[in-house]
Amino acid sequence: MKGKRTQSNYEALGTAPMEECFSNSMKTKLLSFRASRAKIRYANTYRLESHNKFRDYLVRDKAQAILTNKLQQAKYDGVSSPSLCASISEEILKAVKELDFDRYKYVVSVLIVEKAGQAINVASRCVWDVQRDTWISAKCETETFIALALVMACYYE
Amino acid sequence: SQSVAVGEHAIFSSSDTSCACIESVLGKADYNHNKVNQWTAAIVEQSLTHLVKLGKTYKYIVTCAVMQKSGAGLHTASSCFWDTTTDGTCTVRWENRTMNCIVNVFAVAIIL
Repeated sequence: MKGKRTQSNYEALGTAPMEECFSNSMKTKLLSFRASRAKIRYANTYRLESHNKFRDYLVRDKAQAILTNKLQQAKYDGVSSPSLCASISEEILKAVKELDFDRYKYVVSVLIVEKAGQAINVASRCVWDVQRDTWISAKCETETFIALALVMACYYE
Repeated sequence: SQSVAVGEHAIFSSSDTSCACIESVLGKADYNHNKVNQWTAAIVEQSLTHLVKLGKTYKYIVTCAVMQKSGAGLHTASSCFWDTTTDGTCTVRWENRTMNCIVNVFAVAIIL
């Protein structure tokens, strides 16, 4: 019999079948019923790379700009610096999210060190996918303190 | 001791391993500007090796800051954009007479 097939089920090795379309209310009920036990199964996209790849020069400029804006005028102050540190890291995270790179998780770490003639050494190492994950760092130095921002982007799918 | 609850099924404690690594590298040593580079590298590398040995499917990011004690203040903050059900972080603070050490471990899950 001739005719177009409206629905087809693909059985490939090792792939999960597509989820059927539930109505919205039923879906929420099912999801909440299953709670956190069940894993949500997504259909394959067959995409190995991100559409909008992470461009580090953009992020570096953004992070540098945020640091210099917030810190040029600030003086190190034991009381206000912790909140300043936290707010800077959140701002950098927000800015990176706005750049809207596809399929990336971010970790932003900000360090503020008061200058008192002491030395500090910061090292970091990662076990990740070298071809897809990357990191940038931005530094801002004033008379009373040094600020260092690290942004790490990890690809996920 | 601190433990990182990551995901519903996996709970691993990275703070003991990090603590042990720092102890073994810095121990009772005094701050030495020539050696601090190899110390930070050694701490980070040992932490990472221990974490990888746990055999879980995670990407790890380990950051270590070693600072000479001089009465100066040090603040760190981190914010993360990830899946809170599967990813986690852990921070270990250690000090001795002459220096402070902060180790941050971030674990990002790999979905297989």
